[in-house]
Amino acid sequence: MTIRMGFVIITSRCIDCDACMVACRSENDVPLGHTRNWVKTSGVQGQFPKVSEMFQPGNCMHCDNPPCVAVCPTGASQKRPDGIIIVEDKKCIGCKYCLTACPYDARFSNSETGKADKCTLCLHRLEQGLKPACVQTCLGKSRQAGDLNDPGSVVSKLIAHYPTRILLKDVGTGPNIYYIDEAVPDIPEGK
Amino acid sequence: MELTWGLMIVIYLFTAGLSAGAMITSNLAFLYGGREFELVSRWGAYLSPFPISLGLGVLVLDLGSPLNFYQLFLTLELSSPMSYGSWIILFFTMLSFVYLYFWLPETYQRIGQTQQLGLWKKRLAKLMPVLSIAVASYTGLLLNAAVRPIWNAPLLPILFLISALSTGVAAVIMISNLGPWKRARHKELHVLTKADAGLIILECLIILIMIVMGRLSSASETMAFSSLLFGNYAWVFWLLIVGLGLIIPLFLELMELKDKIPVKWVWPVTISSSFLVLFGGFFVRYVITYAGQTSSWF
Amino acid sequence: MSKVYTWDQLFSRRQFIKGSVATAALGSAAGIGLLTPEANLGQGNSDQASVKGKKFVTTICEQCVWRCGVIARVEDGVVKMLEGNPNHPNNLGKLCPRGNAGIETLYSPDRIKFPLIRAGARGSGLWRRATWDEALSYTADQMKKIKDKYSAKAMMFNSTDNLSQPFFEILLKAYGTPNYGTQRSLCFNSMTTGFLYTYGTPQPGTDFSKCKYIIFTGRNLAEGISNSETQEMIEMVARGVKVVVLDPRFSKTASKATEWLSVRPGTDSAFFLAMIHVIIKEKLYDESFVNQYTKGFDELVTEVIDYTPEWAEKKCEISATTIRRIALDFAAAAPAAIAHPNWRTSNFVNSFQTERAIAVLNALMGNWAQPGGLIPDQELSTVKLGVLSHPAFPPAQGIRLDGVPWQYPMVPLAYGVIQTMRDNILTGKPYEAKGWLISRQNPVLSIPERQKTINALMKLDFVAVIDIQASDTAYYADVILPESYYLERFDGLIPIKNKIFIRQPVVEPLYDTKSSLMIYKELADKLGLGEFLPFKNEKDLLAQQLKPFSVELEVLQRVGHYEVQDFKEDHSKDFEFQTSSGKIEISSGIMAQMGKKAVPTWNEPPRPEKDHYYLLTGKTAQHTQMFTQNNRWLLEVFPENRAWLHTSVAAKIGVKTNDDVVLESEVGKVSIKAFVTEGIRPDCIFMVGGFGHVSKGLKAAYGLGASDSALHKTVTDPISGGSALSETFVTVSKA
Repeated sequence: MTIRMGFVIITSRCIDCDACMVACRSENDVPLGHTRNWVKTSGVQGQFPKVSEMFQPGNCMHCDNPPCVAVCPTGASQKRPDGIIIVEDKKCIGCKYCLTACPYDARFSNSETGKADKCTLCLHRLEQGLKPACVQTCLGKSRQAGDLNDPGSVVSKLIAHYPTRILLKDVGTGPNIYYIDEAVPDIPEGK
Repeated sequence: MELTWGLMIVIYLFTAGLSAGAMITSNLAFLYGGREFELVSRWGAYLSPFPISLGLGVLVLDLGSPLNFYQLFLTLELSSPMSYGSWIILFFTMLSFVYLYFWLPETYQRIGQTQQLGLWKKRLAKLMPVLSIAVASYTGLLLNAAVRPIWNAPLLPILFLISALSTGVAAVIMISNLGPWKRARHKELHVLTKADAGLIILECLIILIMIVMGRLSSASETMAFSSLLFGNYAWVFWLLIVGLGLIIPLFLELMELKDKIPVKWVWPVTISSSFLVLFGGFFVRYVITYAGQTSSWF
Repeated sequence: MSKVYTWDQLFSRRQFIKGSVATAALGSAAGIGLLTPEANLGQGNSDQASVKGKKFVTTICEQCVWRCGVIARVEDGVVKMLEGNPNHPNNLGKLCPRGNAGIETLYSPDRIKFPLIRAGARGSGLWRRATWDEALSYTADQMKKIKDKYSAKAMMFNSTDNLSQPFFEILLKAYGTPNYGTQRSLCFNSMTTGFLYTYGTPQPGTDFSKCKYIIFTGRNLAEGISNSETQEMIEMVARGVKVVVLDPRFSKTASKATEWLSVRPGTDSAFFLAMIHVIIKEKLYDESFVNQYTKGFDELVTEVIDYTPEWAEKKCEISATTIRRIALDFAAAAPAAIAHPNWRTSNFVNSFQTERAIAVLNALMGNWAQPGGLIPDQELSTVKLGVLSHPAFPPAQGIRLDGVPWQYPMVPLAYGVIQTMRDNILTGKPYEAKGWLISRQNPVLSIPERQKTINALMKLDFVAVIDIQASDTAYYADVILPESYYLERFDGLIPIKNKIFIRQPVVEPLYDTKSSLMIYKELADKLGLGEFLPFKNEKDLLAQQLKPFSVELEVLQRVGHYEVQDFKEDHSKDFEFQTSSGKIEISSGIMAQMGKKAVPTWNEPPRPEKDHYYLLTGKTAQHTQMFTQNNRWLLEVFPENRAWLHTSVAAKIGVKTNDDVVLESEVGKVSIKAFVTEGIRPDCIFMVGGFGHVSKGLKAAYGLGASDSALHKTVTDPISGGSALSETFVTVSKA
């Protein structure tokens, strides 16, 4: 079966500490003023004192039907066989078409290189058998990454056990971050 | 999302459309107007290469890695309107300079024989409308492919095409009326004005349909169009585009066609109405480019 | 050597180092580069050999006091990434946002790069560079002068909890001063004294892993991150454990909790006293435990008779039904039910009583040393490091300036009352202080009434500051002794249960800085007190600490920790309470001796008058007190503090989020942006602490946000010495 890399993010375990954002910046030398990942908040919902708040980490969804790859005029934006979407710097002209095409606002124009930039699923770490920096550091184990097509992976097991949702389902991008809002008492063992 | 494609892109979209519109005007005037429309044809040919060249210059400067721009021409990515669009524009621009050359007075034509040039001029005048339509409408496809509210309106390529034709015609009218050189004849201008008025009416119709379609679509789309109709961009849309860019020039042009304008006002009115059409055309590109980016899906 | 710099020039952007270090500091992104389609994942045969000079160094973080284990990755001499050490119990392989951001400060252009001696008047911001020899000699001379002329007690020694603190303490005791200022009284004195006088232990642990029901009072583990505890809290919530949070503000912990109770500030003790009332009335307490291990139960019964849930409802504004329900459910979960000891609790004078009530409530549940309950002190179960042998200390000359114990008989000496030390420096009573040595502390921003602290500094003969960055306090120093950043230095070893952990340099110091160990040592030498710190260098000290164990320092450095074999945990004394009666003192013998109510009792807290609001301060996950606001990576995730206003309050004064407002208290006034929310009591205003820096040497932090210390008035609980920060009330208006 082909590899399909993606994330499962358990929002119930996220405390919006933003360690994942700092770890990503450190690991990937992301210039100040930009970020490859984020944690969004629903804001305080309801009326005092019956209020609630929910946190939702995110980053490039490494979509199945990525508009950013379709619109790239030079072929710099590519989807690898393992599903990870990358930017080949050599070919990127910095036209920013892919930035406008991404409905998740996952890309930015790197002010130092002039190229399109975004989450790479820490490919360089995956190649060394390490987890992506954001997953590695997450205090709540909210962020999980792996091969969605491998039933033995942590992400597959989580998806099998809990209801999930994806963002902007109707836009048709086929994003590969699956969100679980329910409480997850135990993170399953797996790859 | 924050603004990624800003004023530079708007300028490019506008000038590309303008050049394409001017080119078609010139082609049609030449092929079907004959001697009577020679001046108009000539001015169209003289004008056409320059706005798009300016637009392309501005575009390259807006790139994050401008020195890498040649990568565009190492490949053809069929899924990317920017890719095939770049090729189309490359040919259009180069050929528009060739076409200009064909229209130069014989004294300036160093290369080639007059008769040969005349033949190629006619051939080019038959080819260029195709390229012009491609240039004018692909800008709409460019925005379509980015899957954003407003940008994905299916009628956008048609809107941009009509707007390009309208601004092209208006520009030709304006230039042929300006300046100390030989002005176009009354008949030429009359036909062009009629064409432009027709295009403005068509444009209004298309905008209306686009808005209705948008408002009947998803909640994200509805909200996006709201920013145009009632929200942040309302003043640009109603005042600058609908008011100054469409209704007033249409009114002035209709008055002109009915010969209701006193003779001494004809010249300033012609210049003004043409200018307002250009003004409106610019802001159509502006408001769509900006409103599409400040709206998002939810 | 005599070139004079201004503060501005010392920390100018132009001064950062060139070359690969600077490139790393600027975070140059190389992009992904050309990847071949065959570069699939998990192949594990990445070309490590081709990366020149890559190494991993295990050390300890210092971005807060939790001291997580860190593994630093160094490539070509540049620290590229910090990750959690999976072998360290404090973080189990994870790092919080501050831990991840350590690299930014290491390479920050705002580091102090060499010793500085002031070249103009104090506070003028003019400095000249000095050699270490000159700076240390100058410091020692001034300190000797003060000792000779005014006696040792005129010299204050301040240091906030850190790994070299034991050696700082040796230095000050060798010098002979009684004056030792920690920051404790600004933090959790009420908790530590409350538990100390109940259990004989200042800070018992909590077994989250088996706990079934927990009540937090202000303790905000999601934002006041204590890595491993925060992880455990998240697991508790995920497991469905009942988590109740008492907080006037809807903190992030509250957002994760099962139940948030928006308690009126300062009234938490009413809640707990009413819980105790219910539990006693319904006989839900662990009777055998109470009989065997506690003293004073009968006194408690009498005291709580009138503390009904109905009474409590009027005080704390939590409904009587809720209080009753929680009491019953809490007791049903015993002994796996914890009323968490917390940290700053509610910052009122009566917080001591709140903590006493919490301590007693735990005792009634019998959760001491039970699964899911409180964990007794682990000192017996922690390996003992080798100690330095040194001469006997001279007797400390004189009484402490901070009122311990003559004004505050119940405050432990190790904690002190720093705000009183500052006040008495100003008043000159009972004697004049003449000098202040401040190490790793920023009193200007931490003690309430900032202006008073500045005045105190201006009054002294001599001020020396040891710090890594140009803090607001360093600005007022006569000499600044720059400490190496934690990634550049050794510190004392840390034993945790049966493991010993090391902090060691990940890279050599970038600038002309020293570890505080060496600063203390060399200062001691110059003071003629070298024999009290008998080590040649850091490694020598660490070797002495390792003496009782069969491991070489090199091995410890390579592995990052050492596990002592055959070390058994000793729980024999778990039920031997270090109180005067040897039992858990529901009725405190010491309180009785002092003529105060011996059992937990209700003390009415002050309330703001009309159009005034409670001023609450607290933490955010992305910053540590007043230390990290200059860290540009952290500013990207939390750029500035804002005043939380309830929607109704904002509407009343006509502001929306991000509008400027003015907060004014009795002692000061600040301008700050508003954050309008439903997640706070309408009578409260909240701001994250630590912003509003006034040091121009902190280029990114200078002027950012607003300082709570400029608003807080100094109110001290006479029993615990705790600073009642929340007894400051403010007005708010549109700017």
